[in-house]
Amino acid sequence: MGMRETIDQLRETLEQELNKTDSKQALENLRVRILGKKGELTALLRGMGTLPPEERPAAGQLINTAREKFTAMLEARQDAVRMMERAAALQAETIDVTEPVPPLPLGSAHPVNLVMNEMIDCFTGMGFEVVEGPEVELDHFNFELMNIPKNHPARDAQDTFYVDDNIVLRTHTSPIQARTMLSRKPPIRVVCPGRVFRADEADATHSPVFHQMEGLVVDKDVTMADLRGTLNAFAERIYGKGITTRFRPSFFPFTEPSTEVDLTCAACHGKGCRVCKGTGWIEVLGGGMVNPHVLEMCGIDPTVYSGFAFGIGLERIAMQRYGIPDLRLLYEGDVRFLGQFR
Amino acid sequence: MKVPMKWIRAYTDIPVDAETYMNKMIMIGDGVEGYEALGAEVEGVVVGRVLTCVDHPNSDHLHITTVDVGGEAPLQIVCGAPNVAAGQLVPVALAGAKLPGGVKIKKGKMRGEVSEGMICSGEELGCPPELYPNIWEKGILVFNEDHPLGADVKPILGLDDTVMDFEVLANRPDCLSVWGVARETAVALGTAFKKPEIKVVETGKGDIRDYVKVEVRDTDLCPRYVARVIDNVRVGPSPKWLREYLFGAGMRSINNVVDITNFVMLETGHPMHAFDLDMVEGHQIIVRRAKEGEFITTLDGKQHVMQAGQLAICDAVKPSCVAGIMGGEESEITEKTHTVMFECAVFDYAATRLTSRALGIRTESSGRFEKGVNIRTPLEAMQRACQLIHELDAGDVVPGVIDLYPNPVPEQVVTGSCRRIAQRTGVDIPPEEIVRILESLHFGVKRDGDLLTCTVPEFRQDITVGEADLSEEALRVYGYDHIPGTLLRGETTPGGISERMRLKNDVTALLTGLGFCEIMNYSFVSPKSVEKLGLSADDPRLNMLPIRNPLGEDTSVMRSTLVPDMLSTLALNMNHGNERAGLFEIASVFDPVHRTAENLPEETRKMTLGVYGKTADFYSLRAVAERILNALGIAFDVEKYTEPYLHPGRSARLVAEGETVCVLGEVNPATRDAFELSARACIAEFDLDQLLRLRRPMGTVKPMPRYPAVTRDLSLVMAESAQVGPLLKDMAAAGGSILEHADMFDVYRNPVLGLNRKSVAFSFVFRAPDRTLTEAEVSKAMEKIQRVAAEKYEAVIRA
Repeated sequence: MGMRETIDQLRETLEQELNKTDSKQALENLRVRILGKKGELTALLRGMGTLPPEERPAAGQLINTAREKFTAMLEARQDAVRMMERAAALQAETIDVTEPVPPLPLGSAHPVNLVMNEMIDCFTGMGFEVVEGPEVELDHFNFELMNIPKNHPARDAQDTFYVDDNIVLRTHTSPIQARTMLSRKPPIRVVCPGRVFRADEADATHSPVFHQMEGLVVDKDVTMADLRGTLNAFAERIYGKGITTRFRPSFFPFTEPSTEVDLTCAACHGKGCRVCKGTGWIEVLGGGMVNPHVLEMCGIDPTVYSGFAFGIGLERIAMQRYGIPDLRLLYEGDVRFLGQFR
Repeated sequence: MKVPMKWIRAYTDIPVDAETYMNKMIMIGDGVEGYEALGAEVEGVVVGRVLTCVDHPNSDHLHITTVDVGGEAPLQIVCGAPNVAAGQLVPVALAGAKLPGGVKIKKGKMRGEVSEGMICSGEELGCPPELYPNIWEKGILVFNEDHPLGADVKPILGLDDTVMDFEVLANRPDCLSVWGVARETAVALGTAFKKPEIKVVETGKGDIRDYVKVEVRDTDLCPRYVARVIDNVRVGPSPKWLREYLFGAGMRSINNVVDITNFVMLETGHPMHAFDLDMVEGHQIIVRRAKEGEFITTLDGKQHVMQAGQLAICDAVKPSCVAGIMGGEESEITEKTHTVMFECAVFDYAATRLTSRALGIRTESSGRFEKGVNIRTPLEAMQRACQLIHELDAGDVVPGVIDLYPNPVPEQVVTGSCRRIAQRTGVDIPPEEIVRILESLHFGVKRDGDLLTCTVPEFRQDITVGEADLSEEALRVYGYDHIPGTLLRGETTPGGISERMRLKNDVTALLTGLGFCEIMNYSFVSPKSVEKLGLSADDPRLNMLPIRNPLGEDTSVMRSTLVPDMLSTLALNMNHGNERAGLFEIASVFDPVHRTAENLPEETRKMTLGVYGKTADFYSLRAVAERILNALGIAFDVEKYTEPYLHPGRSARLVAEGETVCVLGEVNPATRDAFELSARACIAEFDLDQLLRLRRPMGTVKPMPRYPAVTRDLSLVMAESAQVGPLLKDMAAAGGSILEHADMFDVYRNPVLGLNRKSVAFSFVFRAPDRTLTEAEVSKAMEKIQRVAAEKYEAVIRA
């Protein structure tokens, strides 16, 4: 049998063996058997000494070509085997991906704070600064500077908690406005969020503790139209496109002119529905031009400056937005309720 | 305030329907709660004459009547009323008629006899005897006058009007009157206000001064007092129109004299009082402050002891009336009254309010005085009352008026610039329009170019700041709808939130990310809830700021700590069957002892965390607490520490820069009992204002390490009582500058270690910034670490 035939036969054997081999170890064994130091192809190389010298180069060529070819065949099979083994391993590691996992509890900020922060984002974006103040407040700031002197009938509506003759639990966040005006010079653009108190028994729509956010702008030539523009921007930002304001004349001791502000009912977009009792509007806030007397008491010259102010109840907004039926839920602390806010 | 539209129509036209009218009024600033059509539920009830009336053969109380309702043939109606009789003119509900309460009348048979309708009582028609006096106390209503048969009964009974319910703003007490409302109506609808012409016919004899002497001693509390006398009083029922007006306004008709005072109050806004002059001792009226202990029995039969200083209308010896609040029983108008003194006065709003509160009497009158009764118009109201006395023939008006008004308020004039009036509103209201509006509101206006000089109408008390008031008047009539929306101009401001708010937001974000829910509780609590914590007697948290007028004991003091509310909320969640909860609250606490420069109690923003449930224990909560401090860049140590409401063996504090920044632990079982917690829970407390002070900014980043780290583990056996925290801290210090990080990774307990002993495993990571560490360097550091563990903690390598 000639060299060529022997090599052909060897290749055939290798081909057959390779097809049967499906592990890395068996492949290695096969490699050693054919290509190893004592392998069959290596033996051919060694047997070259018996050939006539003139045939040796051609035989060497044949063997080297065969070695390259066999190595490629082995490597190809090795790749295939590696892939099979990996596939098997992945198959073995398969898990039930639908099995329930222990949940990570969902935390939540309080709905009133969610609303407050959204509003703060809205107003800080318009250049307002957020200012806080004491919850237990001087009568002077809470009432006197807001144009509500002692025994003024407007104090009746406020149902004030008193600590003593001079100290009250603030009934609105307006005293922060007074403090701001006394300590700064115009232009002033602030919003004052915070907790306020009224002597109301708790029921589905009343609470002795609730939250407000008031806004104040004092500058030259500020007008009611600026108030409306600002609140229109607020309405769109908080309630969505197409929501706008309606102003109705009203009275507050600290503003003149004063206005009640209705917003387009977000539930029906003004068409009239149960939420807005068919009117298309929801009463949301109050405001007006800062009463010149208030400016004066707070050290700002009303002949040079004017300003607007507004106040919004946060619980009411939260209740409207999230469809909360009873205000007391907000102060109960049941995680089945709180855990719903995202 | 309820006003029947008929009454308003007496003084101005209302050429629109009730709905349109309401909206027009709302848009010029006169709030309307709603309106009610009287008799809206009554339909198909007509006048009929009872022709015959015989007993029902199958009943001991029913009657069979034939009634002529103006139709082709009389109707047969079965009627059970005891007072029905032939010849009566009665209201008949025809078949198909509707009555209040959704009642429908159908043709039918009663005990075998056909009944083609129902003869109605006043009650069945919603018409009380005050509105239509019926001589019969029980049974059907019988008309007192002749009416055409078949006519609708509603106009006859005064059930054909619509009542508007006005929500008068606090600055417009002038609108607490029909005249006030009618004036606004005229402006809203562009109609004319026609005030009645007031003429008093004096048919009495002599002069008022022959009948009564009036003296006002305290003019500060009673700046004006107007009195007139009516002689030969003829007390009787009021006419139909007056009864209808009062009924629509929600008042009961009593008798003509009392009705006139109520009518005038509603029409003009001036509360009046009528004294039976014969019962006024000494025929003398003295307006003075009561003396301590003087008492009075008021109209409602209650006796009140007056306090010194409260204003009383007295006779020669005693209080006869609590000024502006309620009259006395003794001088009340009765059927026997012969001579009446009418009072129309003005009392100080604050004093009236204080007395009304102190005595616990609230009346229509006191409410009006508290809101402010006009000092310039009581005489007109008095004359109106006297005019009605004459017109209703209720008595003889005695000539002469007593009007004690020592300091007349001068006419009020305000000025303003048309340009600035409009500028403030943001609407281009033309000057001519401003003038027209102000004139329609009864201002006397003089215009000189841009400048307006306006005389304020005497009935307005709310024009106090001048130009801004004129702006409001102009704008509300011109229309708030005209206000455009403009954006803020002028110098821009940067805006933004404070560091204090940022801290609150950061901590909130961190905690919600860790699965905590934020709670809110009232700022006031019961002092008992704080006492239940078992604090020592000198604990500052027992100083709580009391509220003078709390809603109840359970909300009577301001919180000095958030812990009781957290415990209660945890208990609530346990009671509601919630398996787990992680809660936090951020709120202020109040310290009544430490005061600010303004003498306000010190307010501190605190935070509590509370957890319970399977995975909630001391360590997991401490991990959260540490996470907060790490996030804020606050370095801290952990120390054993406790509070009376915490488990003494499972509580600690975190200390930073020598200050306690967090106290945390498992809730003491005794406290759990006190707050009814059915399971173990842990709480932690922080002072956010303190964290704000201690918070450190991050600064710049450290360079990335360029040389490899060497890690060594160490397992030490020690007594159970040895504290791992301090041990780890000391070992870390002993490791020197090449020790990058030290940590505990396991605690192992087994009897083979010995009694009350534990094995704790630590790992140490060494690295130098400028070189690869040698074996010798690391070993030397480990030796030092082992030495400090052995010497200070008797913690040794397990043999």
